[in-house]
Amino acid sequence: MARQNRTGLERMEEAIIASVLIALVIVTVQPILNLLAISLSDPANVPGMGGLTIVPDGFSIDIWALLAQHPAVQRGLMNSLLITVVGTALNLVCTALMAWPLSRKKLPFRRTIFILVLITIVFEPGIIPDYFVMRRLGLLDDYAAVILYKLVNAWYLIILIRFFEEVPEELIEAAELDGANPFQVFWKVVLPLAKPALATITLFYVVYHWNDFLRPMIYFNDQDMWPLQVVLRQFVVVGDKAAIVGLQAMNSYEGASQIDFKAFRAGMILFTMLPVLAIYPLILKFFTKGTMSGALK
Amino acid sequence: MTTPSSASTKIGNVPKSRAAGYPIIESRGDRFRDGVRKWWPYYLMLAPGLIYFMVFHYLPVWEAKLAFEDLRIIGPNIWVGLKHFAQLFTSPAFAQVLWNTLIISAMKIAFVFPLPILLALLINEVRNPRFRRSVQSVIYLPHFLSWVVIAGIFIAALSSSDGAVNDLRDAFGLERRSYMTDAGAIRWVLVWSEAWRSAGWDSLLYFAAIMAIDPALYEAAEMDGATRWQKMRHITLPGIVPTIATLFILNVGLFLHAGFDQVFNLTNDAIRDRIDIIDTYVYRLGIGGGQFSLATAAGLFKGVIGMILMIGAHTLSKRLTGKGVW
Repeated sequence: MARQNRTGLERMEEAIIASVLIALVIVTVQPILNLLAISLSDPANVPGMGGLTIVPDGFSIDIWALLAQHPAVQRGLMNSLLITVVGTALNLVCTALMAWPLSRKKLPFRRTIFILVLITIVFEPGIIPDYFVMRRLGLLDDYAAVILYKLVNAWYLIILIRFFEEVPEELIEAAELDGANPFQVFWKVVLPLAKPALATITLFYVVYHWNDFLRPMIYFNDQDMWPLQVVLRQFVVVGDKAAIVGLQAMNSYEGASQIDFKAFRAGMILFTMLPVLAIYPLILKFFTKGTMSGALK
Repeated sequence: MTTPSSASTKIGNVPKSRAAGYPIIESRGDRFRDGVRKWWPYYLMLAPGLIYFMVFHYLPVWEAKLAFEDLRIIGPNIWVGLKHFAQLFTSPAFAQVLWNTLIISAMKIAFVFPLPILLALLINEVRNPRFRRSVQSVIYLPHFLSWVVIAGIFIAALSSSDGAVNDLRDAFGLERRSYMTDAGAIRWVLVWSEAWRSAGWDSLLYFAAIMAIDPALYEAAEMDGATRWQKMRHITLPGIVPTIATLFILNVGLFLHAGFDQVFNLTNDAIRDRIDIIDTYVYRLGIGGGQFSLATAAGLFKGVIGMILMIGAHTLSKRLTGKGVW
C-alpha cells in the first residue's frame, strides 16, 4: 500500500476515487441523518429546519416519547414483532427440513420436486389468486396469512440446498454407520455445519418479514393488526394524518394538538428502520462473506 | 443419472430377499419397498414444505381461472372465456400501464444497471482496506430498508419547501421544483431512488467477481508497467464480463416487474398515470376496485409473459456464460 514511487498522477487518481466514494456515502446517509436531526430537535424549531442540516436545532426527545406512547405505533410494533419472530422461526424450520432431503442426491423424485419449486419462481399467477386462496382457507384477518404465504422462500431454499450439498458425504455415512437415523444425521451433523448459511437466511427472513407491508394490507381488514410498515405507510406515504392524530382521540395524550407532521414523520421513519439498523452489523458479517453468491436478489 | 434403487446397496440396507439367500434379481416391488424403507423419513421432513408449495403456490394457479370467469357472490362463477382479456387489450388504460412498465424497466436498465459495475470498479481501486470496508458497509444499507421507509426518505428529501434537493437548488440559485407531483420528473424519481437503494448492494456481486480474478494477472501486468487504467481495462473488466452478462440477462427476465413496492409507495394522484405499472394496476383494479376477474387477467398476462422472459433469459444466460438464473 505504502508504495514510495507513486507519481503525482496516481495520487490525483486516488484522491478522485476517494472523493467520489465519499460523495456516495454522504448521499446515502445524509437523508437519514437529516431525519434524525429533525426528530431530535426542539419541536418549536422543526418547521424552520431545512433538508441539508444534520445537526439538531435545540434538543428534545419529545417526538420519540410521543412515538413510544402512541397507541397505533405500539400496536404496530407488537404486530411487527409477532409476525417477524413467529414467521422467521417457522420459515427456518420448514426451509431447513425441506432443504436437507433435497440435498440428498439419490432421493427418489428429487428432480421432480426441484422442478416443482423452480416453477413457482418462474410463474407467479399474481396477488388476486393468492388473495382468493387465503379467503378460501378462511385466513383473512389472521396473522397466519402473512406468515404462511411465504413459508418457504424458493431462493433461500436453493441456497440452503447448495450449502447442504457441501457437507462431506463421509461425515453423513459415518453417522449412518453409527446407527443414526436421517433425523439424527440432520440434527447432529448437517445443521451444526450449516450454521453460517442458517444465520444468513435467518437474517434474510427477518428483514423480509419486518419490511413486508403489502400482504398485511391485503389480508388484514382490521387496522389493529397492521404491522409498523403499514402504519408508517398510512401516515407518511398516504399522508393520512388522521390515522395518527385524529382518530386516536386527540386528547388522550399530551402535546397531541401541537404534533408536528414533519417531526413525527421523521421519527416514525427512523423508528421503523431501527430493527434493521440493529441487525445490520450481523448482516454485514454474514452476507458479505460470499456464501450468498448464488441468488442475491 | 443413477436410478433410485441403486441407493439401496448401502450398508445397513441389504434387502431381506438377498440376505435370506434368495436370487439377487430384485423385483420392482422389492425395490419400491426398499426405497420406501430408506427414504420415508426424508419425505416426512419434506412434507411441510411440499404441502406449503401445493397450497400457496399451486392452488393460486388453479384460482387464476378466475381470469376466464365472471365472479358471482352466490353460486358458481360463469365461464366467459377470453372476455376479460379482450376488455384488457382494448382498454387505453392497460395500454398506458403496459407502456409505463416497459419504459420504467428500460430506464432502470439503462441508468441503474451500470452503476454497481462502476461502483465495484471504483471500490476495487481503493488501496486502504479500512476505508474500503467503511464505504461498503454504508452503501449496502439502503438495500435492507423497506420501500415504505425509502419512500418516506425520498418524499422528505424531495419536498419542494424543505427537502435537501431543493435546498441545494436554492443555494445554487435555481428555482424549487416539486418532483413528486411533476409528470416530467417522477420517472426519474423512480430511477434515482432505485439507484439509491440497490447500486451499493448490487456492487457486492461484481466486487466478489473481481476478488475471484487471479492476482497473478495483475502482478504480471505491473511488471510490464501497466497503469491503473490499463489494468482495469484489460484485466478487471474482462474478468467480470460473465457476471455482467448474467445479471443483465436476469434483469431482462424480470422486465415486467418494474418494481411494485417502489411505485406503490411513491405514487400519488398527480402523477399516477405516468408511473402506474401492471402490478399496481392489478392491485388497484382488484384489491382496490373489486374488479377481480379483470385484475386476475392482467396479472395472468404479466405472469405468462414474465415466465417466457425468465425462461428465455435463463436459457440464454446458460448458453452464453454457463451460469443460469438458478
